[in-house]
Amino acid sequence: MTAPAPISAYLRPGSAPRRWLGSIALIALAFAFLLPILWMTTTSFQAGEKMFQLTTEWIPTVWHPENYPNALSRAAFPRYFLNSGVVSFAVMATNLVFCTLAGYGLAKFRFPGDRFALLLILSTLMLPLEVTLVPTFLVIHKFDWLNTYQGIAGPLLIDAFGVFLMRQSMLAVPTDYLEAARIDGAPELRILWHIVLPQCKPALAVLAVFSFRDSWDQFLWPLTVVSVDRFRTYPLGLALFGDDYGNPPTEQMAIAVLATIPMFLLFAILQRAVKQGFGLSGLK
Amino acid sequence: MHDPAIATARGRAMRAEQPAWSLLSRHRLRLWGIGLILPTVLFFAVFKYGPMLWALELSFTSFDMVSAPHFVGLENYRNLAVDPVFRETLVNTLIYISGSTLLITAVGLGLALAINTRVPGARHCMTAMFLTNLMPIIAVCLVWRFLLHPHGLVNQLLHPFGAGRIDWLTTSTMAMPAIILVTVWRFAPYFMVVFLAGLLAIPEEFYEAATIDGANALQRFRYITLPMLAPIVFFVIVVSALLCARIFLMPYIITGGGPGNATRVLSMLIYETGFSYLKMGRAAAISAVLFAIMMVFTFLQMRIYMRREEAYLR
Repeated sequence: MTAPAPISAYLRPGSAPRRWLGSIALIALAFAFLLPILWMTTTSFQAGEKMFQLTTEWIPTVWHPENYPNALSRAAFPRYFLNSGVVSFAVMATNLVFCTLAGYGLAKFRFPGDRFALLLILSTLMLPLEVTLVPTFLVIHKFDWLNTYQGIAGPLLIDAFGVFLMRQSMLAVPTDYLEAARIDGAPELRILWHIVLPQCKPALAVLAVFSFRDSWDQFLWPLTVVSVDRFRTYPLGLALFGDDYGNPPTEQMAIAVLATIPMFLLFAILQRAVKQGFGLSGLK
Repeated sequence: MHDPAIATARGRAMRAEQPAWSLLSRHRLRLWGIGLILPTVLFFAVFKYGPMLWALELSFTSFDMVSAPHFVGLENYRNLAVDPVFRETLVNTLIYISGSTLLITAVGLGLALAINTRVPGARHCMTAMFLTNLMPIIAVCLVWRFLLHPHGLVNQLLHPFGAGRIDWLTTSTMAMPAIILVTVWRFAPYFMVVFLAGLLAIPEEFYEAATIDGANALQRFRYITLPMLAPIVFFVIVVSALLCARIFLMPYIITGGGPGNATRVLSMLIYETGFSYLKMGRAAAISAVLFAIMMVFTFLQMRIYMRREEAYLR
């Protein structure tokens, strides 16, 4: 017969009970981070008058799914979502194309001024729209692009971070492969498509998610260049909706949920590649 | 059949061809390189560098979009220097940047270490927390505006710990901490992922060797994890400072810059000065100040990029 192990043995690093305690603590922490998202979701199904009760009712006693159609019909939200979608997909597409091309040029070609070009592109990170707001507005005004899709998307079409991201991931592709293909007479763009890009899928996934998110989130810029209702993006519509105290907050949360779904979907689809792109493949 | 003479002749022909071929191809590759980056460089010339120079020029003028700009010298800058609202806004911005950056870094690192214990479910917890980074920022602001309401969820959760009613958004001492809290909730999980990638890159053998030598968990953290992670800590500080320097929507939606001017930041002041009061010249001068702040952090960031670079090329 063996004597029972002392309590401290159970709390030794790596012991099973300690791992389970750690697990519970971590899950509680993650849950705390998720509370605002859960609150948003449950509130979107809640009755308007339940909003400012002294205790939050986490599961509605009566569900109100009609908050969704009601909210959508209160302002031109379908149109706002369409506008945001058009702009965000355009921004994602141009970022994928041009960041790939520029990244390829910077990673795999030597030409006079290549380092300077890299520096020039990276320096634009200190010129976000918040800094160049006034003159960029004047540029768009000169182009006569106020209240147009190209005006909303224009300054976002290429992002220096994306160029850098693509370049870094292409540096890891062995140049010998490209040389071999070139000697076989493959055209440059086909080398890019068939040899380089398949090895850069994680970086492309990260770029897709983040370029989409950045324009889906964009508020200050559309606020500056859009003055007619037809071209409002959903964040502008939602902010106005929130400022009007006649609108129930529950319906505001319904729109917020609808705006969150596309982002979560995009992430769900690309999740594996994104995690790889962040260098998390080692995490089991 | 196999004729050595022909083989030699072919070899000689190939050798003679080579310099011309490779010279041509080197030239061709140069053109390709320039051609590939050209669209991006032109784009940045129109949408980044052009506007930057224009802003600099505008900051020395008085311009209201109606009449042509006229030169006023340093007047915009002189006016800013004595404007109490601008000063308060500048101080707010700096407080916000430093507070958020420090907390984002600390919380991000803490979360990454927690995930890296690899307890059961750690990976799912990471994914769940990362969602705060994907939720649309306008939704984040609107949700937190309700959560920070005097009767909102935050006060409800603090109540059992003996906290009274805190007016987060309407008292000038609590409004900025509230905005910083939301910022940390939003961005710390993103940097958690960055830290985690750094932790995963530390070779397992280092820890094994240290354990054999009798180092405890704290010593392993102090003498292996922290030094190996130092460049990433620096990177996270710089990148999150850049991110926080351009914050606009959180104060704009959650507090409207108030109470008073307690949470007004530079980007809000630029927007209001330029587009509500149509003082474009003055707005450009404020932009120049924000630009100066961003420039400091960008130079730090580029130093990291370029150093990483050399590590790559070696």
